[in-house]
Amino acid sequence: MRALVKNGIGIFTPQGFLDGNNNASFLSIEDIDATAKLNVDMILVSLKKVIFFNRNGLDTFVKMFIKVRASKHITIGFCDYDSKKFTAISKFYKNDINFSLFASQDIAELFSSNYKNQNKNILLYNEDKSQRSAMAIELHDKGHNPIIAQTEEEFKEKSSNANAYDVIIQDSYLGQMGQSIATRVTGNAIIYTVSSFLDAEIGNTFNIAYHNNSLNVGFRLFIFDTYKVISMNVHALNFFSKLSSSGAEYNATICFVGMTFEKTPLSFKETLEDAGIMFFNQMDDILQDKELLEELGASSAAAIANKRVLNKVMVTELPNFIQATVSTIEMMTNSKAAKDTVKINEIKIEAKGDKIASSIGFYGDMDGMVILVFPKEIAKKACELLIGEKTDDMELILDTLAELVNIVGGKIKTLLSDQKISVDITLPRTYPNVDALLEIAEKRKGVQVDLSFDNDKFLFFLTR
Amino acid sequence: MITKDIIDSYIEKIPPSPKALKETLMLLNAGELTKASKVAQTDLALSSYLKNLVNKPIYGFKNEVTETSQIFGILGVSGSQQAVYNYMVSLLSPSKWELFKLNATSFHELQAKLSNRWKDILEHLEIKDKDIESAITLLPASIIVSEALFCEKLEDINLLRSVNQIDLNTVLQRLCGVDLFDICEQISQKWDMPSQVAEIIQAASGVKPAKDETTDLLGKWMHLLLFYELSQPMFIEAELNDFIDFQVEYVGEIYDDFSQVMEIG
Repeated sequence: MRALVKNGIGIFTPQGFLDGNNNASFLSIEDIDATAKLNVDMILVSLKKVIFFNRNGLDTFVKMFIKVRASKHITIGFCDYDSKKFTAISKFYKNDINFSLFASQDIAELFSSNYKNQNKNILLYNEDKSQRSAMAIELHDKGHNPIIAQTEEEFKEKSSNANAYDVIIQDSYLGQMGQSIATRVTGNAIIYTVSSFLDAEIGNTFNIAYHNNSLNVGFRLFIFDTYKVISMNVHALNFFSKLSSSGAEYNATICFVGMTFEKTPLSFKETLEDAGIMFFNQMDDILQDKELLEELGASSAAAIANKRVLNKVMVTELPNFIQATVSTIEMMTNSKAAKDTVKINEIKIEAKGDKIASSIGFYGDMDGMVILVFPKEIAKKACELLIGEKTDDMELILDTLAELVNIVGGKIKTLLSDQKISVDITLPRTYPNVDALLEIAEKRKGVQVDLSFDNDKFLFFLTR
Repeated sequence: MITKDIIDSYIEKIPPSPKALKETLMLLNAGELTKASKVAQTDLALSSYLKNLVNKPIYGFKNEVTETSQIFGILGVSGSQQAVYNYMVSLLSPSKWELFKLNATSFHELQAKLSNRWKDILEHLEIKDKDIESAITLLPASIIVSEALFCEKLEDINLLRSVNQIDLNTVLQRLCGVDLFDICEQISQKWDMPSQVAEIIQAASGVKPAKDETTDLLGKWMHLLLFYELSQPMFIEAELNDFIDFQVEYVGEIYDDFSQVMEIG
């Protein structure tokens, strides 16, 4: 079974009945491993579509979960259940629950490192006092405002005024939380989460190839969530100084949020500041300050470090790139595409108005970036299949467009692997207008393919 | 990806029911078991299918049953009609399954399990109606239609489902405005199956409740029965578990009864 990965959470959704006979058929350790590799910080099994389960049905999952958590340091557990199912699970495992339980996916998201839904007023209740505290601490750490009900009566009274809270949490349980270096994208900022002791090991655990390719794709703001960092030593200091200097040629900014210097020499802060790293107390100080976010996250054409030229391998594989793109858009819109022109030049976009764009980078045996420029109408049409209805909500369209470009990236990856070329893909980046795209792409040379879908023009650009 | 034209051409290609089958069904309808079995015997593929079907362990016969007349005698009028319809649906199945990891044996197994358990359910509901009993035979057609329409789009479907939890029925509905169960209905019309069969199947999709109370109730039982079978290891491994969306809320009210009939502990 495959997991759906969204906002850093991998979710498996079995349907029907779950018992000791069939649970191993639903999920294998390989399925979980493959999901863990996708940079998730939670893996959950949704019980939303399960009408019957027993302890044997959950046990095999739990055993696999614990194995994966030990090696990958991610949060594992179940989600999407009602009170009846929660009571059943609690009864099965009594005082031996070593996984997490989130009543819904939305509640799970509050505990993940995804900052999109930050700053929520949350009412929470759990019979167990230490659970209540643990949840409140985690939620506070993630930038929310938790309000704890100390008794069931208090909870009932407070929750009757549902409008007072953005989210109400009950029937949830925090097992051991994961602590990996997770990567999230909020707007166009990439957030890395680091914790405990930062030492020479950071050089191994930090995915430098991913970071470099994110720079190449045009991400400029990198935020390290350091709320849970206890201390940093000189090796980590050197690592971050170097990381910041190497990003400087792209005009990239690195920020540390929530770092305390109680157990780390204060002089380290000065050294990091000299290297260009900025410090903030709260994640909100950046993410809620739209002006600052835009300023730090904006692309800078002047600072594109190395304008690399297309190479032979890329040109040879061009048909694969085009096929992946065209077939995806055809699949999503159910319309036929025609190739108009193919040129090697700097990107040229006619009629810039009412267009949105997206890009995705790839790296490995070959590296580069695919840029897609859509008229808004095509983008809307292409996203309808995923959204399920017509919408004018620009934020939703851009988010869905990112999913669509992810499909294109996945397809490119598959097609290239058929040619024995192994690549990984970055997260997709979206641009609400052409100007935002041109800031990173204007001076780049690449292959431009103009395509038309029915009568709409669509642009594909492959560059390095 | 899949257009209305592709669906229309698929339905166009479905052959009408063969003459021998039509006659068999007609005679069964008239209660002429012996005559029906004689006509059925002339279709060698049908007799071989019937033989394989009733000798599956789920039917629980100690000795091998070989004669068509014997089979019809054991199954009775409604059971025989159901078996003939099952055979007709199996004629649509591909020689090689690609989207789902099925084969002729496992598909027939699914048909047999559904049919047998449907019989238990109708007994529990105290419904004696051969058309309602036969309705279950059309349900696996939704699986065959999915295979036929999506088998060449396997990669696209996998990529689509890697970013969005979307079942094949919804994909088809959003792309073409018709879903798997509408196509099943068209197949049933082509084969002159009683209209109630299609009505129950539409309700069994879980997303189109029927106006008629009894039909809707039968749709609920059939939807839950489908997922009971699709939760068996054999069919999970065949990747059938999520080909359509399980509507837990739709079947909530009948679950306790269902678990009694199926003896779920």
